[in-house]
Amino acid sequence: MIECNNLTHYYGEKLVFENLNFQVKKGSILGLLGKNGTGKTTAFNILNGFLQPTGGQCLVFGEDTQHLSPQAKARIGFLIEGHIQYSFMNIQQIEKFYSGFYPKWKSAAYWELISKLNVSLTQKISTMSCGQRSQVALGLILAQDPDLLILDDFSMGLDPGYRRLFIDYLREYAKAENKTIFTTSHIIQDLERLIDDVLIIDYNKMLVQSPVAEFRSNFRRFDFELDNEATELKKEPFIMNIEKVKNKVELYTFSAESDVKKYLDDNKIVVSNFAQVRMELEDAFIGLTGKY
Amino acid sequence: MWKSVFYKEWLKTRWFMVGYTLLGVLCIGYLFLTLKHSFAFTGGKNVWFTVLFQEQQFYSLLKYVPLAGGLTIAVAQYLPETINKRLKLTFHLPLTENKVLLQMQAFGAGCLLISFLMFGGLFTGFSLIYFPIQMVTNSVVTILPWLLAGFAAYFMIALIILEPNWIFRFCYTLIGVFFLTIYFNSAGATAYASANPVLFILTALLSVVFVFSAYRFRKGEV
Repeated sequence: MIECNNLTHYYGEKLVFENLNFQVKKGSILGLLGKNGTGKTTAFNILNGFLQPTGGQCLVFGEDTQHLSPQAKARIGFLIEGHIQYSFMNIQQIEKFYSGFYPKWKSAAYWELISKLNVSLTQKISTMSCGQRSQVALGLILAQDPDLLILDDFSMGLDPGYRRLFIDYLREYAKAENKTIFTTSHIIQDLERLIDDVLIIDYNKMLVQSPVAEFRSNFRRFDFELDNEATELKKEPFIMNIEKVKNKVELYTFSAESDVKKYLDDNKIVVSNFAQVRMELEDAFIGLTGKY
Repeated sequence: MWKSVFYKEWLKTRWFMVGYTLLGVLCIGYLFLTLKHSFAFTGGKNVWFTVLFQEQQFYSLLKYVPLAGGLTIAVAQYLPETINKRLKLTFHLPLTENKVLLQMQAFGAGCLLISFLMFGGLFTGFSLIYFPIQMVTNSVVTILPWLLAGFAAYFMIALIILEPNWIFRFCYTLIGVFFLTIYFNSAGATAYASANPVLFILTALLSVVFVFSAYRFRKGEV
């Protein structure tokens, strides 16, 4: 569905990412994770043809995203960060407007979602809360019935109830209809409920692309306490990140417990309370990319 | 699909169109009320004398009405597209980007044309009550550059609003002001008679320049 090859982008002199390669397979739900400023929205803009990359290429349905045909665009549902829509329209007008563009338009899907909101048909989108706007935006995408949904930070501005409603609706829809979703959110707990696969980027590079379950089982956190607080922990290639506060250490790695213990022994580091700690996706993300 | 594009443009501009049309009609009404007053109190002979031999333009009130129309419709149409970068929504519609832009432009220019034809019809009709057809024709020839200025302003404002970079916007504004002064250079009646075809071509050329701003927006220029 989506294939990006050697994607590179600079803003002026500043490198956003270099040689980024990833694919999104049909029927999968892929979440793009990265800290602020690592290029998530840049990647989404390139995917929708709103930004010309400095190098590389993205293909959607086999077409270069810089020159998407109207037929390809009709198959892509796009949610702009902040649930932006034509706010000068009311909920009736916006449905009428979009329905003229899509032959497979499913009005019922839109109105089913709108019926859950406490709004009148003539209420303008500009007067709605962020949560209500999110439902309008989602309803329009569901009615469009696209094969691929590209959702840029769908959690932005939503309270927990609306976030849950959005995710549950979306996941049920995607799984029932075999839709493909490529999304991002700054609230990783939300993504964890939604996505099958995760793509983690950091400044300039891709760190991981794998199924969420595989990432969570392969990426490990080991906590221990140093006997000597002044001990320096040398960062070896198998160590992805070390967080140290006084004598308490969190060590993140894709390697097994035996490798970590061998590392401690080889470096004559005396520790106590050594334990592997179970992580949620958010912990694993922070562990991999660091807190700063 | 063009119906849906026109529907969106109509929703954005309808109240501005109504307001602008009322303003234009009121201007024309006031113009001919004043003329009627002049005919009644100073006599037709005096009015004709000032129009024919002193080249007084009894319709000078209308000079900037088309310009105001171009500015109003362009702002009403294109400003909502740039707030929160909603132009992305428009470009994501299943149409080629240039096609959707040209349909939007056709709608705006069409609205201006309809209002100008209406104003022109009212002006000509009322003028024929007071003046012979030769004098009315001269008036229309004089007014024509002002009408073209309305279109030119509309096209230039579209270029400026859709441009994503403020420095470019500033430059376009300077160029726009320069272009628009061309349409108002001479105050003499029928002074532009021979220049009108050139102005028409210039205005027609301006009608597509906004595509460049939209292209820059789509390429992510900041």
